[in-house]
Amino acid sequence: MEFSIVQILLLTAYSMYNIYDELQMNSSLSQPVWAGMISGLIMGDMKTGLVIGAALQLTVLGVGTFGGASKIDANSGTVLATAFSIGTGMKAATAIAAIGVPVAALLTSFDILARFANTYFQHKVDKDIENFNYKGIERHSIMGVLPWTLSRGIPVFLALALGQGVVKTMVTYLNGDLQWLNTGLQTAGATLPAVGFAILLHYLPVKKHIAYLILGFTITALLSTLFTSVQTLGTGLGAANKAFTTTFNSLPMLAIALIGGAFAILEYKRSMAKLNSAPAASSNNSSDDEDEEDEIEDANGEVSGDEEE
Amino acid sequence: MKKNNGYELTKADFKQINKRSLFGFQMGWNYERMQGSGYLYTILPQLRKIYGDGTPELKEAMKTHNQFFNTSNFFNTIITGIDLAVEGKEGVDSLDTVAGIKTGLMGPFAAIGDSLFAALVPTIMGAIAATMAAQGNPIGLFLWLAVNIAICVFRWKQLHFAYKTGTKLVSEMQGQLNALTDAATLLGVFIVGALIASMINIQVPLVAHLGKVSLSVQSNIDMILPRLVPAAVVGLVYWLLGKKGMTSTKVIFIVIIFAVALSAIGVLGKI
Repeated sequence: MEFSIVQILLLTAYSMYNIYDELQMNSSLSQPVWAGMISGLIMGDMKTGLVIGAALQLTVLGVGTFGGASKIDANSGTVLATAFSIGTGMKAATAIAAIGVPVAALLTSFDILARFANTYFQHKVDKDIENFNYKGIERHSIMGVLPWTLSRGIPVFLALALGQGVVKTMVTYLNGDLQWLNTGLQTAGATLPAVGFAILLHYLPVKKHIAYLILGFTITALLSTLFTSVQTLGTGLGAANKAFTTTFNSLPMLAIALIGGAFAILEYKRSMAKLNSAPAASSNNSSDDEDEEDEIEDANGEVSGDEEE
Repeated sequence: MKKNNGYELTKADFKQINKRSLFGFQMGWNYERMQGSGYLYTILPQLRKIYGDGTPELKEAMKTHNQFFNTSNFFNTIITGIDLAVEGKEGVDSLDTVAGIKTGLMGPFAAIGDSLFAALVPTIMGAIAATMAAQGNPIGLFLWLAVNIAICVFRWKQLHFAYKTGTKLVSEMQGQLNALTDAATLLGVFIVGALIASMINIQVPLVAHLGKVSLSVQSNIDMILPRLVPAAVVGLVYWLLGKKGMTSTKVIFIVIIFAVALSAIGVLGKI
């Protein structure tokens, strides 16, 4: 299957929007899972997109943008991996490690380029201030949108327009003489989330909360083994006897998150009780304080908002 | 020259600042002054109202707000609100104070904002969305979108709140924010534990042959503890990341190389 012009343009436009959304609204449309689903839809195979997006999402879980450092660009990696996987018939599991990760790493340098290019506009703003050129200040401050979006748009466009032949050759070899590499890349794809989790653990206060790491791991390890076994059993029974039609679902992650949420609420209440027992807090209870309380509850609702849904 | 006798932000002002913050604040991000020009862009119309067009005071204010600035783009309008509360009351004399407030607050807010919104929300919502998506189910993605839209609403409201409360805000909120961050990181750690146990689908396909007895290595590992292999891999990567000069990108490639090599000799495989 060849990419159509429309597909190439849509994927390019989406990858340009990606970086804009990430910098501004942060609606989650600029996360790898969404990148997978949207490029999957553009290519006409949403499921492949979701699978690739999910794997890359987990790989970069801990890689936030701390202090304006460039991070591995898993979004563009997902867009290209999805497009090429569907377009050339490369297995989704292979595309994650063979295309997604290298592209994501490569595009880090384009991110750096954009951040450099914007220095030019910063100096334009300096001049505009001297001249009281208000429109100029505004224009030159948002013109940075060009380096930002082009830093994703150009490489994605070029890769899609020129890369098909290369990727097709790759697929032929991977399905032929290099089968061992194909299997290896799939194993690598399955292992990669470990990196995302380890980075997160470095960032989170893991020593302080080590008990909860163990709880989360053990509860899930036991339950997921149980759920998987029951599923296998159900499938086996269904195959053996047509009258057995019950299907068993896999372990819902939301339920596990709820258990964690309960622990978090307990911890929050404990800290707040400690805070309120301190003498300073009890003195003035003006209306300002009430407002504050609301805001905090808001924030709390969002961080652990997944529990209520 | 216009003498400043106080300017109160109106509803329209709040709306304008919020719009600029949500849709344009980080477009000018650059290595030299990071969010410098973005900060100025966000509050330029209000500065013009406070100081009057063409005045030397305005020029000084614009220069002050075009300096180095970098904080969480989830909390930047809290600093803006406090800034404008002070500046609107005291005018050009407050510029030194305001510059101090900005520099003093951008660090702490960057830290809290990053741990809450750049690490924790993507971890929890990303985990839920990705586990569902791995099975081809997009519902988790929409859940995430809903949560992030709620966060945008919160970002929109905080400006007015910060403007009203002014400088008192930070010291009063400190304790609650700490408690919140603490609870949120606990949830984060718990979720990572759950993810390790559910989302790294690898096993040891090796079967040892001892005479007539063949011994599956994986089923022996499962008897000790299910999901021990993923836990061990995460432990190794964690250790690797702590090494000097190691970056996440390097580690990702090391993992790919080792996984391919171990798979080729039959020690590691996908489930």
